[in-house]
Amino acid sequence: MNNRLFSSRISRSLLAILLLVGSSVNTFAANLKLEAKLIWGTNDEKSPNPDHKEVDTATKEKLRNVFKWKNYFVVNRVTKPVPSRGSNHFKLSEECTIEIKELEGPKVEVKLIGKGKEVHKTTLSISKGQSVVYSGDDKNQSAWFVIITELEEK
Amino acid sequence: MNWERQLELQAWVDGELSAGDARRMAAFAESDAEARALANELRMAKAFISANEPEVKVPDTREFYWSQIQRRIAQAEPAPAASHALSWQFVWRRLVTPLSGLALVTFLAVVSFNTFREPAIDDSSRFMVEVENLSDDVGSISYRSQSENMFVVYLYKKDQEAESDTQSDQINDSFFQ
Repeated sequence: MNNRLFSSRISRSLLAILLLVGSSVNTFAANLKLEAKLIWGTNDEKSPNPDHKEVDTATKEKLRNVFKWKNYFVVNRVTKPVPSRGSNHFKLSEECTIEIKELEGPKVEVKLIGKGKEVHKTTLSISKGQSVVYSGDDKNQSAWFVIITELEEK
Repeated sequence: MNWERQLELQAWVDGELSAGDARRMAAFAESDAEARALANELRMAKAFISANEPEVKVPDTREFYWSQIQRRIAQAEPAPAASHALSWQFVWRRLVTPLSGLALVTFLAVVSFNTFREPAIDDSSRFMVEVENLSDDVGSISYRSQSENMFVVYLYKKDQEAESDTQSDQINDSFFQ
């Protein structure tokens, strides 16, 4: 009877430990859901490419407050998860890919890859509502932008 | 006469009934011959047993007999202390198992919390950014807009930089608001 009582106590303790450890893992795992957008900025009213759609009003206002261009068009948009302590590639065009790695901190390492070559690396902490923007000049006084934002979990 | 009636009759003979029941039982024994015979038989057995009860005598003297009892009482006196110690051990043993389990769970909780917890980000580390140019041909200028919560990295070809010493100022003028 004592043995039975003892084994019952052990089972209950093990169950409690498993639940505790399991819940801890779920609570602290930092899986990110990120969105990367390739955007073209211009002073022209319309994009020559009909596939390009104008960015949403909030993004346009944010970009207008920082950069000098009047209009911004979405060229491509990729949404992917980045697992805790893992990485993922966001291919935005034939020439432009972004690699994002989730690091301890929590921080992210954002790597811009152009034409298959690593061009630039930024390591920073990212939070919801914050944007990381890569940018550069394009022809005819226009510019390209890569905007990375963390999405709300759904 | 049934079994219950016989027991009632025996109780009456032994004087265990109340006054009312005893009167009722006496009337019954008077009227019923079988009951009367049984009552007489029980009285005879009772008288015989009480008259012939064996008297047991202690072989020792009265003083010696009581002195032995006194000695045993004296020997038994420390027993409560032993019993107290035993109960304390019992209580301790009963407490050790749940307490050790609780300690183990607490320990694992603390360890797992420290293992999986992300360190709190203070303001200084929140704004710390490492930038690294990985290409010899490309330069970069980074800029943080607090109002728009935006970190910008502007990339340019380095051969453009050679064209002007005031590249950064030009970029600021031509690129940012």
